[in-house]
Amino acid sequence: MSDATTGTTTDAVVVDYALAAAPDVVWRALTESDLLARWLMANDFEPTVGHRFTFQANPAPNWDGIVHCEVLEVDEPHRLAYAWRGGAGEYALDTVVTWTLTPDGSGGTLLHLEHAGFLPKNAMGREGMGRGWRGPIAERLRELTESLR
Amino acid sequence: MFAGMNREDQIFRALGDPTRRAVFERLCRGEAAVGELTSGFDVSQPAISQHLRVLRGAGLVSERRAGRNVYYRVEPRGLRPLVDWLGHYQAFWTERLEHLKTLLEELR
Repeated sequence: MSDATTGTTTDAVVVDYALAAAPDVVWRALTESDLLARWLMANDFEPTVGHRFTFQANPAPNWDGIVHCEVLEVDEPHRLAYAWRGGAGEYALDTVVTWTLTPDGSGGTLLHLEHAGFLPKNAMGREGMGRGWRGPIAERLRELTESLR
Repeated sequence: MFAGMNREDQIFRALGDPTRRAVFERLCRGEAAVGELTSGFDVSQPAISQHLRVLRGAGLVSERRAGRNVYYRVEPRGLRPLVDWLGHYQAFWTERLEHLKTLLEELR
């Protein structure tokens, strides 16, 4: 099975993935540091709310190769969320990765990923975008996103 | 890719200022000359011109000269780098989830 559907909204990347493995096995791959390193990145993850950890990759121009993370939610084996931060300064990336695991009824798992918060509230103005993505700028972004599909 | 690239930073910086964002939103509704923009905001014309320079520098706005007048309009693809940025992440996660699938097959 590789029934992946992906998409973007104006503010998030969403991926839905149908996996043959059971939710508890998928959960292990998402939360055991050594397994996580094998498919995502080297890390010092621990499934404890508040735990701060990093993912480490090869540095690139404009990026030191380190993703700074903090565990926000652990609900085994249903839901896992962590902050995903990078860069430096006022315009740094400050996003949230949320995994949701749902049994598919025949032993497998429907895995849902939402990586949200790409258009930072601080960069777009506290009062302006804090209310949510409405208005002409959001509308233009929506048109551009839809034109890519 | 992860920390945001220069173009996105420029766009965020340009739209981070409330007056500049308002000018950009006004231009989303149609082309305008500096004079029209100045009358719509409680800001001096030189200040509006400076905001327009920043918006142009970020690729969000372009100008058109007609005789003695300069008109400003929204660059249709100006916000595209933000959408592309999301596209990079979409490709990243899709690739990583293929690795996850392979790993899960090994764990069975």
